[in-house]
Amino acid sequence: MKIKDLSLEELFTSGHTACPGCGGAIVARIAMKVFGKNTCAYFPANCLLVFGGTYPYNAFKVPYLHVLFENSAVCAAGISRALKKLGRDAKTVAFAGDGGTADIGMQSLSGAAERNEDIIYICYDNEAYMNTGIQRSGSTPFGAWTTTTPVGKKIAGKEVFKKDVPRIMMAHDVPYVATASIGYPNDFLNKLEKARDMKGFRYLHVFAPCPTGWRYDPAKTVEIGKLAVECGMWTLYECENGVFRITKKPKLSPVTDYIKLQGRFRHMTEEQVDTLQGWVTEKWEKISGETKG
Amino acid sequence: MYEVRFHGRGGQGARMAAEALADAAFLEGNYAMAFPFFGAERRGAPVVAFTRVDKQKIRIRTQIYEPDYVVVLDDKLVDLINITEGLKKGGMAIINSAKKPEDIDLGKKVSTATIDATGISLDVLGVPITNSAILGAFAKATGLLDIDSIKKGIVDMFSMRMDKKLAEKNARAAAIAYDKTIVGTCKAQRTFEKRKMWLPTYKEMPLGLATPPMKTEAGLVGPGSFIENKTGSWRTFKPILDHEKCIMCLFCWFYCPEGCIERVGNTTLKINYDYCKGCGICANECPKNAIEMVRE
Amino acid sequence: MKRVITGNYAAAYGAYLTRVDFVAAYPITPQTLIVEHISEFVNDGLLDAEYMRVESEHSAMSACVAASATGARTYTATASQGLALMHEVLFIPPVLHLPIVMPVVNRTVAAPIGIWCEQNDTMPQRDTGWLQVYCEDNQEVVDMVIQSCMIGEHKKVLLPSMVMLDAFILSHTVEPVDFPEIEEVDKFLPKYKPEHAYLDPKRPMVLGSFTPPEYIQEARYQTEESMNNARKVITDVTKEFGKTFGRDYGGLIEKYRCEDAEVILITTGTVTSTARLVVDQYRDKGKKVGLIKLRFFRPFPLQEIKELGEQVEAVGVYDRSMSFGTAGPTYIETRYALYGYSIPILNFLAGLGGRDVTIKDISFMFDRLLEAKKGKIKNEIVWIGTRGVEP
Repeated sequence: MKIKDLSLEELFTSGHTACPGCGGAIVARIAMKVFGKNTCAYFPANCLLVFGGTYPYNAFKVPYLHVLFENSAVCAAGISRALKKLGRDAKTVAFAGDGGTADIGMQSLSGAAERNEDIIYICYDNEAYMNTGIQRSGSTPFGAWTTTTPVGKKIAGKEVFKKDVPRIMMAHDVPYVATASIGYPNDFLNKLEKARDMKGFRYLHVFAPCPTGWRYDPAKTVEIGKLAVECGMWTLYECENGVFRITKKPKLSPVTDYIKLQGRFRHMTEEQVDTLQGWVTEKWEKISGETKG
Repeated sequence: MYEVRFHGRGGQGARMAAEALADAAFLEGNYAMAFPFFGAERRGAPVVAFTRVDKQKIRIRTQIYEPDYVVVLDDKLVDLINITEGLKKGGMAIINSAKKPEDIDLGKKVSTATIDATGISLDVLGVPITNSAILGAFAKATGLLDIDSIKKGIVDMFSMRMDKKLAEKNARAAAIAYDKTIVGTCKAQRTFEKRKMWLPTYKEMPLGLATPPMKTEAGLVGPGSFIENKTGSWRTFKPILDHEKCIMCLFCWFYCPEGCIERVGNTTLKINYDYCKGCGICANECPKNAIEMVRE
Repeated sequence: MKRVITGNYAAAYGAYLTRVDFVAAYPITPQTLIVEHISEFVNDGLLDAEYMRVESEHSAMSACVAASATGARTYTATASQGLALMHEVLFIPPVLHLPIVMPVVNRTVAAPIGIWCEQNDTMPQRDTGWLQVYCEDNQEVVDMVIQSCMIGEHKKVLLPSMVMLDAFILSHTVEPVDFPEIEEVDKFLPKYKPEHAYLDPKRPMVLGSFTPPEYIQEARYQTEESMNNARKVITDVTKEFGKTFGRDYGGLIEKYRCEDAEVILITTGTVTSTARLVVDQYRDKGKKVGLIKLRFFRPFPLQEIKELGEQVEAVGVYDRSMSFGTAGPTYIETRYALYGYSIPILNFLAGLGGRDVTIKDISFMFDRLLEAKKGKIKNEIVWIGTRGVEP
């Protein structure tokens, strides 16, 4: 599918209250265009829950459910199983953030993947708890400032690395795991389309920059989404029925190209930048080794 | 006791201004409290914050409905919201605006002070964050506090969230604003429609809040109803599309988080300014530089 | 069809008889037999339900909420720690008005860890908005699973139900149970076809969205109104069930030999059963004692209990859990119901952690009540059989 083939209908309507330049809003809007009307959507507690709908108003035009924070995968599975039993032919998708996926939602996610529930799980990754005001999550990268990894006199930024959730999901041997970035529309659309048309558990992890939390000019959301892939901080791949494939080979440009645009990395020392660069290099070696193996 | 209501947008620092004012009043021997309206407003959406000052301990814990003063951090809000709503008789509006008070229309003739806080903050801080400069104007217009207390209050409260040097710069912005504030009276030519809200009884409200699309006296509710929320008012910069340069690559249409770029047939794009928040992604991503962001 | 079965089997068989669409459950002692039996029913093709073998009770209740919100008749079962783990999720269905049915095997909550009977798992959930019914025998367990569907799915109620059975005393005890034929149950219990809340792309609905203060208080009142409506619906359903199946449980409470009773004891669960015997013995001796079987704890039978104040001279309340710093939960609510009556009201705590509650213990309760009637009260809160504590 190409951009021009996308439906004109906005199932995630204008008038939502996301911050200007929100990467998560782009994910929701485009994903709904690909999935279409015949979809039930689940939302845990996250930014999208709040900016996508504050009672009695809502931006989504499809059946919509929120239960709690840490149970997106199992709630989506509950919907999907009930639809099946009631003979309603519809897809179920969960839109969770990185905190609700990598941290508090991990147990329910792993359980649903193990059972191969017939759902699409989208993690829109903005690398921190943005809804509650930019606290670090397991998905926050090394060095990044957040309100719980402040730049102090003794310690500055996050001291540990980003958790690699897509690889954890691959270890579940589910039909489809893919990573995407809003900066690569055709790649993103292909993966949404595959996820839509397959059966069983489908996991899509989408890099979704957040101007408010990352401290950059909102106009740069897509640009940052591209730079992250170019420098290797984020890698685009998919694993379809066990076949792993890198869908965009990174240029492996220096991470400084990527981090210099963002206030959250501004404080980093040369040593910290080297550590981050080392992590990227090592990660890429691991991933490219996987394609050979 | 006096009560102040601050109007701003998410991210503009209305809450910090309210807190700094409370601190300044405390430094002058008063009891003071400041609090936001606890919402979940995103950056850019209209928000309010409150400050309450008295000689003795303040017991009242409600929101402020009839303020003595209203402070407006963003003059575009004046066109959207009836900011004088509930303002006490003899109360005053302090507004960030390059205009003179008599050129501002608040829909009600009230004592009004104006200050070009945006200009001052751009000069002093390099960013249009007006929450410190506006406090200098508050001190001047009301005469309630000494500007030195305001400066100290700003340093106290702002340095909890930023570098102390930046907090001190903010204090300087307040001092400059103090000297430039103009006090007068606004005009009253327009009328504000009272904002309608759907307030059903528990019996009228869908059971368990399970809500299909419905029309109410206050407009649509339920799935898709956000379409009636015109977020275009959040905008500071406006994208202008040069149709001559557009090659219909549709990147802007794809990337727009608001979905406010409309495809007219296969040949033309149209920006729906009712919803555009002015993020600038479209201009940044346009391969032909066909979109330019201009200040509203 | 009469069969000699456990309480757990009765609870599981209730899922079959009500033809539930969806089950999500996680095993925990002493509830495990329920999930095992349901697995057998599903794998044998007896029960045509989507059965999700989840990885925790938190997920079990989450899945049930989602499935019920989609429009399915939904069932789960748990006990003790499992219920505690569900706690966060339990608040959702009473507000979204989702009539999930959940047998709970009353088991002690750690610490210390134990597996025996105590009600300190379900009593702390009393403010979540679930209907709560405590069963006396295995027959009542299956009958209440059926009735809970009927009550919970009633248009004026639409609330979830917990059906309680005492750990081991019912869950693992076999006794004869008369199972109705499924066709009879079909006639009694209509299919669940919710109109208020369901997920269907044909008619999109927003369910559970982020809600500001302007609407939450009304949502709370809706739950309260449903809970109050349930009083009459429960009475009606028990009557109708009685007419159809020959077993009428009498509404929110059942009175046993209360006609001219001077003192009465209020009990929940299986202690009721043994207490009936004690009442008979005392009556034989000419002592005017009576028993109230408190079936529904939510909604609490305020009016029924209040009426006792007009009649009796002392009231005793048995509790199998403690609200530390106050008294047993049933006692607290009974005193609330009896506000304004200057009769002695005593709280008896016994059987905590699964300790057996014997005829001797129950006799002690009646003896103490008869003393209290004469104005001789030692303690209002009486811990029976606690070493080092004067009862």
